[in-house]
Amino acid sequence: MDVWLLKLAALVYLIAAASFITYLFSPNTSISKRSPWILFVGFLFHSAALAAHFFLAGYLNVAQFREAVTVYCWLMVASYLIVQIKYHLTVLGAIIAPLALLMTLAAFAFGRGGEQLPPALQTYWLPVHVTLAFLGNAAFAVAFAVSLIYLLQEHKLKQKKFTSFMKRFPALETLDRLNYVLLVWGFPLMTLGIVTGSLWAGAHWGQYWSWEPRQIASGLVWMFYGALLHGRITAGLRGKKAALLTMVGFFVVLGYFLIGDALFPSRHGGKFE
Amino acid sequence: MNHRSAPIEVRESVAFEEAYVNDALTRLRSYPTIEEGVILSTCNRVEVVAAASDGRLASTAIKSFLADQKARRHAGDLDEHVYTYLGPDAVRHLFRVAASLDSMVVGEPQILGQLKEYYDVAQKAGTVGTLLHRLFHRSFSVAKRVRTETGIASRAVSVSSVALDLARRIFDRLDDKAVMLIGAGKMGDLMARQLQNNGVQNLMVTNRTFERAVELAERMRGNPIRFEDFPRYLKMADLVIGCTGAPDVLLDVHAVERVLKERKYKAMFFIDIGDRRNFDSRINDLDNVYLYNIDDLKTVSEENLQERANEAQKAEGIVLEEVQSFGRWIESLEQVPTITALRQRFDDIRRGEIEKSLAGSLKGLSEEQKKAVEDMTAAMINKMLHGPTAHLKNNGRSDDDESLLYVAALKKLFNLEEK
Repeated sequence: MDVWLLKLAALVYLIAAASFITYLFSPNTSISKRSPWILFVGFLFHSAALAAHFFLAGYLNVAQFREAVTVYCWLMVASYLIVQIKYHLTVLGAIIAPLALLMTLAAFAFGRGGEQLPPALQTYWLPVHVTLAFLGNAAFAVAFAVSLIYLLQEHKLKQKKFTSFMKRFPALETLDRLNYVLLVWGFPLMTLGIVTGSLWAGAHWGQYWSWEPRQIASGLVWMFYGALLHGRITAGLRGKKAALLTMVGFFVVLGYFLIGDALFPSRHGGKFE
Repeated sequence: MNHRSAPIEVRESVAFEEAYVNDALTRLRSYPTIEEGVILSTCNRVEVVAAASDGRLASTAIKSFLADQKARRHAGDLDEHVYTYLGPDAVRHLFRVAASLDSMVVGEPQILGQLKEYYDVAQKAGTVGTLLHRLFHRSFSVAKRVRTETGIASRAVSVSSVALDLARRIFDRLDDKAVMLIGAGKMGDLMARQLQNNGVQNLMVTNRTFERAVELAERMRGNPIRFEDFPRYLKMADLVIGCTGAPDVLLDVHAVERVLKERKYKAMFFIDIGDRRNFDSRINDLDNVYLYNIDDLKTVSEENLQERANEAQKAEGIVLEEVQSFGRWIESLEQVPTITALRQRFDDIRRGEIEKSLAGSLKGLSEEQKKAVEDMTAAMINKMLHGPTAHLKNNGRSDDDESLLYVAALKKLFNLEEK
């Protein structure tokens, strides 16, 4: 049942993506104005899919690729919807909705499912560690969308060329501030995600830090975002540079998420024994 | 007549001064062929919109009415400057005027407000009836539809509004931004005024002649700054407008780079509208700094005008659709006498029968019961006539044989002619 609900969510995400893109070019059609609502409906199906999965399996199953991507995608859409409620930046949906669609499709295409959860993962550490780490990364995903819009708008302003879909773009200042806010939320969440992961590893394997590839990657990304945040607060790092770095950070996160486990098999890749 | 059909002198010669529009409307209504009338008189157009059973006679009357108005100023021939529209063409013209498709700058919103004002005056003067009431209200909604469904007015076209539009794309809000005006010239004055109208509160003015800076600053409630001091204050300015006639550039890229560092790279927007280049063009290459000179602003303005023209095409489609819909309403009006007669006929029968019954078999009913009988029969008649009425209203076209057949049949079947 959960797979069907997820397919339904993917279908609604497809409609939402089309609607958001219509919004960019033809903002006055009534359907495009309702784009965030369409995405919200997809989110509800997605939530139902996760809930069904949770009740069927009895735990938040994020050990396999499909589940992990699905949960991450769900948190990303949730983060966007929160930002939408507060800032009304519908235009961001034109990036988030297609991203949500791609992630859901990737989960189906490359996902394996149905395996039993290894005993090492049958602990309350799992939802805590994963939710915190994913929430941090979800904030970075929205920050990525914000940065992309910023760079497009900035480029057009510098080139002095305007296209009609830019009418919907928020002011550079708004985007830059939102980028900062998302960084301020994302970084501590990611930190907590790493800390809880370490504590869990310490409790289970007696070793807080084992230099496995995923840990090294997370550590590097954490330092990268930390430096970015530090630069923003102290050195006036803002605007185009900050947007570019935010995007680089997200690509690293995404890249590792998608291909890291295949290149560097590790505990995080499902080999927990 | 409008800005295209008549030169300003002619338009002025027939223009109606605001205070006399009321009298003019009364004069217009005194022509026996004119049944309803509204006068619209702005700096770009003088229009008389009238409802009459004979359009040709009415247009002759309006021409002599305008000639009479002109004669009060100075004589001359009006014919070559006046346009006349009848029937659907007149409806289309009014809708185009309301939607600002007939304006000098297509998409400028002022005309709708003026149309509403003149409509109100005519309504108060009692020269508006069912037809013009409906026509004008429809024209207001057409204008609204055009504005929401097309991007006709979404782009700025004057140089200062383009600059303002750009400022809004960079800065989230303008009320907390500081503006520095370098040069107390006319163009800078205009730009500063526009910015202030849009909420800018912190304005610094500098000029080579300090007195002029003081004078302008006082007028704009800003702060005057001595010319030699302005680089020191530059770090406080988010928006810098250069409008001096200085032969050399006032700010080079290195100066701005230094200022930027002091501002911790907070964004800056430079607008160069001086007679010569006031700012080094390389400033635009710096991160978080945007420089637009007068040519850039003009280019954007022209692009926006072109965009408006494209949107106007879409708007014409909406207007055409609405003209057709209004035409259907007019046609349905022609069936109103038949509908009224039909209803009257049924009501007469109903009343006659009730009276008869109340005097005979239903004698002795209480007041409450009488009312119930009354309500029930009225409801029956309403329900029975609902279908035919709706059919006549929606399909009763005077140019359609089938509709004419229905109307003739109804009249014959229910003896409506005699009523």
